[in-house]
Amino acid sequence: MKNNIVNTEGKIKSSFKKLNLKVIQPVKIWLSKNIFKRTAIIIKKTFQDIYSLKKIIITLIVILILPLIYVLLPTTVDFGLISPNHAATIISFALIFPAFFWTLGLVYTIIIGTSGAPLIAEEVKSGTMLLLVSKPISRIKIFIGKYIAVYLYGMLLSFFSIFVIGWVGVFVKSGNIDHFISLIPFLTALYIYSLFILFLFTSITMAFSSIFKKARSASILIIFIAIFSYIAFLLIRSLTGQFYVTFQLYHFDLGYHLGNVFIFFIETLDAVPPSLSWQTAFAMLTGVYTYENLVDPDQNINLGGLEKTNYYFPVFSLIIWILIAALLLVFGILRLNKREISV
Amino acid sequence: MIKKESKTNLEIWSDKLTKIYGKGNEAIEAVSKIDLRVKPGIHGFLGPNGAGKTTTINMLVGAISITEGDAKIREKKAGTVAAKQLIGFLPQDPVFYEDMTGEEYLIYMGQLGGLQKKEARLKAQQLLDFFNLFEARNREIGTYSGGEKQKVGIAGSLIHDPKVLILDEPTANLDPIGRADVVQKIKELSDRVSVFVSSHILSEIEQMCEDVTMIDNGKIVISDSISNIKKSFISNLYILDTNMNEKLVDKLKDKDFISKARIDDLDGKIHIIPKDAEKLRDILPQMLLENKAKLYSFHQPELSLQDIFMEIMTKKRGNKK
Repeated sequence: MKNNIVNTEGKIKSSFKKLNLKVIQPVKIWLSKNIFKRTAIIIKKTFQDIYSLKKIIITLIVILILPLIYVLLPTTVDFGLISPNHAATIISFALIFPAFFWTLGLVYTIIIGTSGAPLIAEEVKSGTMLLLVSKPISRIKIFIGKYIAVYLYGMLLSFFSIFVIGWVGVFVKSGNIDHFISLIPFLTALYIYSLFILFLFTSITMAFSSIFKKARSASILIIFIAIFSYIAFLLIRSLTGQFYVTFQLYHFDLGYHLGNVFIFFIETLDAVPPSLSWQTAFAMLTGVYTYENLVDPDQNINLGGLEKTNYYFPVFSLIIWILIAALLLVFGILRLNKREISV
Repeated sequence: MIKKESKTNLEIWSDKLTKIYGKGNEAIEAVSKIDLRVKPGIHGFLGPNGAGKTTTINMLVGAISITEGDAKIREKKAGTVAAKQLIGFLPQDPVFYEDMTGEEYLIYMGQLGGLQKKEARLKAQQLLDFFNLFEARNREIGTYSGGEKQKVGIAGSLIHDPKVLILDEPTANLDPIGRADVVQKIKELSDRVSVFVSSHILSEIEQMCEDVTMIDNGKIVISDSISNIKKSFISNLYILDTNMNEKLVDKLKDKDFISKARIDDLDGKIHIIPKDAEKLRDILPQMLLENKAKLYSFHQPELSLQDIFMEIMTKKRGNKK
């Protein structure tokens, strides 16, 4: 009986060894040789091109301006007397709007746009792309490599930005490390949102870089989209009033959708409790909230915070814009594949 | 159609390769139904500026699409990754990542060609040594001279051990020393790789190549070995040298029995292609006497590629008129 078990074990081991040698190892080698290796080379080179410590430091300073103004606003709370969770909530109240609008909004999208726009357009225009496409690497891999490099750069940038604004918020208000630790769920929600907006704007940027002959044209258009999303629709919404709802302009209002997704992550991760102190800004800027107080209809109790407009289910906003980003990614690849590369 | 068995021996093969830019009335046929047959060795691709050389090459390396026809590199469809693995390419007026050092650039090109980093570094150093750039390996490419840039470009195209090297005007914009250096290196390379090199400097092609293809207006004018081409062209060139070449060349140009007369850049003598050679011989002594010119020499040389090319072009354009 024991011998049988040993034999069976031996057979299994030898079959696994054979499978490993004949299938798994060759597949691993093939994958590393053919799929990742050359793409990884493009990622590394592109990352080196867009990354510079000086650029990161300047970006962090710019990214910090608006959150710093918000945290410097005076408060009556004595941070020495309250619990770390309470302190983190008050700090997140101060940071949430500038984080959405500025740190992960206008500044972030413009930086991603201007960093990514030259990657294809400029290489085609200057002539270095001609050398690249004649090498034994497919254009899909060239595009994906550059795309991933921008995405990684954006991930790094948002990580440091969120860390810095969180730390500055705590430092200005209390300087207590426990308050920073309690702020981590909020910072995590911000980071997850940054991955979404990064996906969207990297796709827009790289698709434009594939289409346009001049990197400057692509950059200007991305800056225009960013400003239009975060500022122009604010004016359209305020000026047109009911017209905005009647003609369902929210379908095209990227600012609304971004706000909707942002609030979705904040609510799902229970990162910041509802409060008029921050929701009013979102009501005005994104149209995600009405100016009506949120009331429990059964008991007629004010639940704190504002009623949502609910033009879209937040998950729908999320899915739609992820799909749009994915389509732009595919479009960018197809465009580069068809593009005539000559100087 | 070329036979299958002979096609397999070709480095580059194309069948009715065509490139049309634009559509409808605005369509421009840059390359028209070219049948290329490039055998192992060094093959020159000649033609005046705008003849379609770069467009053809860009189709072969997959930089631009093929409108019609077909092209293959050693039986692999041109433009595919498999075909690109077989070629090394240096474009006309190549642009480099100027902030990379020569060695970094070669390692990058090697890795894109499928080499491991260690392997790429080793190959890079060997190539830098071969091209006499070893001392300059740690300098940024932006600081390289024109000749050094061309050489690092050729090294970059060679690093993944291609079978066919495609060079588009590799000596254009170089000074005479840089030109001679690059030509010498290309000749040395022919032992290990086939070379398809385009140029409008025919004397260089004549130094380097065994076979040539000439194109004009996107069409092949002639394609054969240089020796066969020379044999098939009975020399109709006369070279005249006097003490007043500049004056006489103007007078010759006016004669109706002269097809072409020009002062050659290299020897400074008058190169004459007559329509009626007999008449030239009859008239010349009288012409020299009238102008009180001293005759140094008058002879019929072996035709150079440049002369053949000029003759072909003259005939072709004359026929068009």
